[in-house]
Amino acid sequence: MIDITLEVNGKTKTLSVEPRHLLADVLRQEFGLSGVHIGCAHGACGCCTVHLDETPRLSCLTFAAQCDGSEIRTVESIGGPTAEHALQQAFRSEHGLQCGYCTPGFIMTLMPFIEEMVEQKRLPDDDEIREAMSGNICRCTGYHGIVAAVRKAVNLGLGGGI
Amino acid sequence: MRPASFEYHRATSLEHALELLGEFGENGRPIAGGQSLVPMMNFRLARPGHLVDINRLPLDAIEIAGPVLRIGALTRHIAYFDNPWIARHFPAFLDAVHYIGHPTIRRNGSIGGSISHADPTAELPAISVLYDADIVARSVTGERRIKAQEFFLSAYVTALEPGEMVVAVEFPIPPAASTGSFIELGERSGDFATASIGISLEHGGGKIVRAAMVCCGADLFPMRAPEVEDFLVGKPLVNPSGAEAGCIFAASIDPVDDHIASADYRRGLIAELTHRAIEAACTRALDKS
Ligand SMILES: Cc1cc2nc3c(=O)[nH]c(=O)nc-3n(C[C@H](O)[C@H](O)[C@H](O)COP(=O)(O)OP(=O)(O)OC[C@H]3O[C@@H](n4cnc5c(N)ncnc54)[C@H](O)[C@@H]3O)c2cc1C
Repeated sequence: MIDITLEVNGKTKTLSVEPRHLLADVLRQEFGLSGVHIGCAHGACGCCTVHLDETPRLSCLTFAAQCDGSEIRTVESIGGPTAEHALQQAFRSEHGLQCGYCTPGFIMTLMPFIEEMVEQKRLPDDDEIREAMSGNICRCTGYHGIVAAVRKAVNLGLGGGI
Repeated sequence: MRPASFEYHRATSLEHALELLGEFGENGRPIAGGQSLVPMMNFRLARPGHLVDINRLPLDAIEIAGPVLRIGALTRHIAYFDNPWIARHFPAFLDAVHYIGHPTIRRNGSIGGSISHADPTAELPAISVLYDADIVARSVTGERRIKAQEFFLSAYVTALEPGEMVVAVEFPIPPAASTGSFIELGERSGDFATASIGISLEHGGGKIVRAAMVCCGADLFPMRAPEVEDFLVGKPLVNPSGAEAGCIFAASIDPVDDHIASADYRRGLIAELTHRAIEAACTRALDKS
């Protein structure tokens, strides 16, 4: 067992983990963050995406032991319990989700993209949006609703809405 | 789908990493981005007894070192997009990076990991073979340079010895009058390629004076195409006979036949990609002049 200290969604905790424990499992089991979804466990579906020191990272391809001293954000840190963030609201209004299994991964993958677009003051075209989310798989929506949600969230951001 | 047990070690310096790797030999492995190693461990296709975490070592510089561009082993794939030297000197390299996985993979995966993992259709191994890069490997006993063409032995098999680690990859900077391109086709965007072709050309007086070509998907490692390279020398940049080059190459290969594509399909695909990559490289040179 290895002792590690993680700052997860603003709360710091020291715990003992086995080296083989995946960050995804530790976040779910030790921190109770069930929004971290595990789809494929080999990096192909994107469901388990979290932010590790502000960078999107697949938590199924990361050992918790590697993250000692790091800052981690999960979907639970975005928009509060009622998912009020503009991107989450846009997913809802544009039918960007159905079963919801992949949604936390999409949100965490897309957050920095949306922030970057808003910072650059430009609306990305659909190809760019599709490239930004190409590492995430959704089996319900056919992606059109998600693309529309991203467009809407960036638009809102450009109007000062995020 | 969870890994077997192992011991975890965080390297605090390059010397520390080499000592640990030397001590563990076959039973130890470096972990960089984990984007290939951890899937293998989750499937239990890899069961190393010891992982040496090299992520906190300062091995991620991209720098000009005399006649070469030296890329540190921990350079993440995303770093190439806004690197002026890659854009200026290595157009095929920049093309190729766009085909690597997805944004999250590109933020975390490293060149040292990609080269050492040696997937037969991975882009960075192909690019290192195309540009005659040297793989710089270190162990407790010292440093050696391995030519990329001698480094990739088969699918997932390289010339690295147990206890050895890649510290950098060095790309000789091509002369000013050069051009290149890289094209691939996979089942879905971001997947590993079914086949890919990279081209690098030096030119003068509107003609090709030296050519290099690499192909993935024809064999279990990125292979050069000496016949096509000879054929292209002397060809004009305007209409460089790319289609003919594609046919010459396709006739010389014996690609695998599997669930993704038949050998015939692959041969046809490789011929067409060869044609398009040559045209794209020449068009780029003409647009510049
Ligand atoms: C969904 C998905 C899609 C992908 N698509 C592509 C793609 O299209 N093209 C592509 O090229 N790759 C793709 N990859 C793989 C990705 O590019 C990896 O980043 C890369 O292959 C390995 O780099 P890494 O830093 O993650 O290495 P790791 O996974 O950490 O290590 C890989 C192997 O290299 C060894 N190693 C690592 N660093 C060193 C070193 N410095 N010296 C010696 N040995 C070392 C490890 O021990 C291990 O055996 C994909 C991955 C995923 C999950």
